[in-house]
Amino acid sequence: MTTTPETNAVWPQTLVGIGVLLTGLALGFGAISISSEAGYGGVGPNFLPWLISVVLTICGLFILWEARSGGFRELDAPSGAEHAYWPGFVWVSAGLLLNAALITTLGFILSCTLCYVLAVQGLRRAAGQACGAPRVWIVDTIAGVLIAAPVFWMFTQFLAINLPGLTNSGWL
Amino acid sequence: MEIFNALMTGFAAAITPVNLLWCLVGCALGTAVGVLPGIGPATAVAMLLPITAKVDITASMIFFSGIYYGAMYGGSTTSILLNTPGETASMVTAMEGNKMAKSGRAGAALATAAIGSFVAGTIATVVVTMFAPMVAEFAVKLGPPEYFLLMLLAFTTVSAVLGKSTLRGMTALFIGLAAGCVGLDQISGQGRYTGGVPELLDGIEIVLVAVGLFAVAEVLYAVLYEGRVVEGQNKLSRVHMSARDWKRSVPAWLRGTVIGTPFGCIPAGGTEIPTFLSYAVEKKLVKDPKDKAEFGTTGAIEGVAGPEAANNATVTAALIPLLTLGIPTSNTTAILLGAFQNYGIQPGPQLFTSSAALVWALIASLYIGNVMLLVLNLPMVGLWVKLLKIPKPQLYAGILIFATVGAYGMRQSAFDLFLLYAIGLLGVVMRRFDFPTAPVVVGMILGPLAEAQLRNAMSIGEGSAAVFFQRPMSITLVVIVLAVLILPRLFKHMSERKARLAGV
Repeated sequence: MTTTPETNAVWPQTLVGIGVLLTGLALGFGAISISSEAGYGGVGPNFLPWLISVVLTICGLFILWEARSGGFRELDAPSGAEHAYWPGFVWVSAGLLLNAALITTLGFILSCTLCYVLAVQGLRRAAGQACGAPRVWIVDTIAGVLIAAPVFWMFTQFLAINLPGLTNSGWL
Repeated sequence: MEIFNALMTGFAAAITPVNLLWCLVGCALGTAVGVLPGIGPATAVAMLLPITAKVDITASMIFFSGIYYGAMYGGSTTSILLNTPGETASMVTAMEGNKMAKSGRAGAALATAAIGSFVAGTIATVVVTMFAPMVAEFAVKLGPPEYFLLMLLAFTTVSAVLGKSTLRGMTALFIGLAAGCVGLDQISGQGRYTGGVPELLDGIEIVLVAVGLFAVAEVLYAVLYEGRVVEGQNKLSRVHMSARDWKRSVPAWLRGTVIGTPFGCIPAGGTEIPTFLSYAVEKKLVKDPKDKAEFGTTGAIEGVAGPEAANNATVTAALIPLLTLGIPTSNTTAILLGAFQNYGIQPGPQLFTSSAALVWALIASLYIGNVMLLVLNLPMVGLWVKLLKIPKPQLYAGILIFATVGAYGMRQSAFDLFLLYAIGLLGVVMRRFDFPTAPVVVGMILGPLAEAQLRNAMSIGEGSAAVFFQRPMSITLVVIVLAVLILPRLFKHMSERKARLAGV
């Protein structure tokens, strides 16, 4: 289903265009420090970075132009709601980021359980479900441990993948 | 005869109890992955890539292929019963199959999809068996210029064909190429875009990008936009086909296979084109006005049988370019290429000579996997459907635990988990604004390889680009790349002009 661009989509699309443009320029800035020493071939290690930088900058300009002149062309209507549900996003993001920050301190099982509980909270809220009761928190915590622990054991004990444990025994 | 003997050796390796078990687990897991919304085969394989650190290569390739095949089967179940195609390959199945289900014929739709997938998968596996060694023999003769042009063709088709906008496809491809540039340059050993972060010297893991773009982005997108979406489920009827259903399905399966197989062999951007083409062909060929009236209304069985066969044939045949040229034509084959690379093996023409045992065991396991899937799917479809009862919040939060294993397990780096989140955000933006994701993965995987081939080719040509025009094969490839770039625009321009003139 192709939609006509809506006025309220102009700014988000413009931001996407600016993002691509800035990425292109940043890659160009990074390419300055890459050597052009080409050996026999005439194509050095900086060739591809420059090419990517130039193309992404051009793409960014075109995307920006599309955004400001009627919206993205041939755009499929995105699935789901028109407006984002930010509180849920914050819960899930907190789960993912705390997992990243704490995985080496808490170990895989506890860290992933925390990630699970926070993510479920966000997703429940997004779905409009009740989620504040202590019973829900307890059930979610148990569910998180019941998923994370077998995953930990399966990958560490059977597949010898190195995941951080809580103790040095290797079982927790 | 030589091929037959090699295949028999492959069967001998594939039917060891351990490998059969991996194949069974892969098929079952793949079917579950296909049934569950939000996880595609690419995500599942990416999340499980850490097993390559421990499991023997033959077993893990058999396992991943099982997931790949199984997910295609499982995807048709959700498309028919829920009208939620997990991926583009199942979109056409969702169109007609869901209408059949709504009119009380879910069983026939599920049966024709499962048997059609088996027929197409088996025939396409025969094609892989017969032709992959020939392509490999031919590919040995290709040099760096031809390889570079072949990859250029893959880039061109993947960014032009996937998604509606070439501009957004190109942007996605170059984001992937940029991600592939991060780390040490493989020829000069110089660091690029590392920003002083030691973790980036090794580059960005493909697993990280795949898991971030598919799994994490899916969860973030769900919480942002899809929390309130409630899906209705069609009633499951007994899985069987009447004599008339068989009569209508068999030719559609065969036609779907014939359409799908060549599309798998070329880097033309996945399963969308063959499935839609097969659907159009079936719609066009149906003669009986009563059957014709079923299309788009109560659901025509040909509209499920043909496209399902086409997508399975394409998926199977996609192993030919992957194994013989090292070129992935879909997200999942791109991640399979990453799995090979984890073992220090680069798929390509040499693979058939250097790792013949592995290749033939893999091909043999495809035959076995097809049979296993038929056995797993037809009688157990009711069980698979029960998976749909898992509530979405718990399912999606569970996916994040597996995403953590996939991302952290490869390098034991917490930095990778932060990067995973950032890539997930990028995936949300891409999905919201209709940027295709496959070019990112293909660009990231093939980018460094294409760059190396380009630099080797230029070295051979002593700095002259004429090296790309000196051999018949390279000139042919240049012409094809130009044709892919120019012809669609020319046709579009001509049809618009025709429409304008007709309007006047």
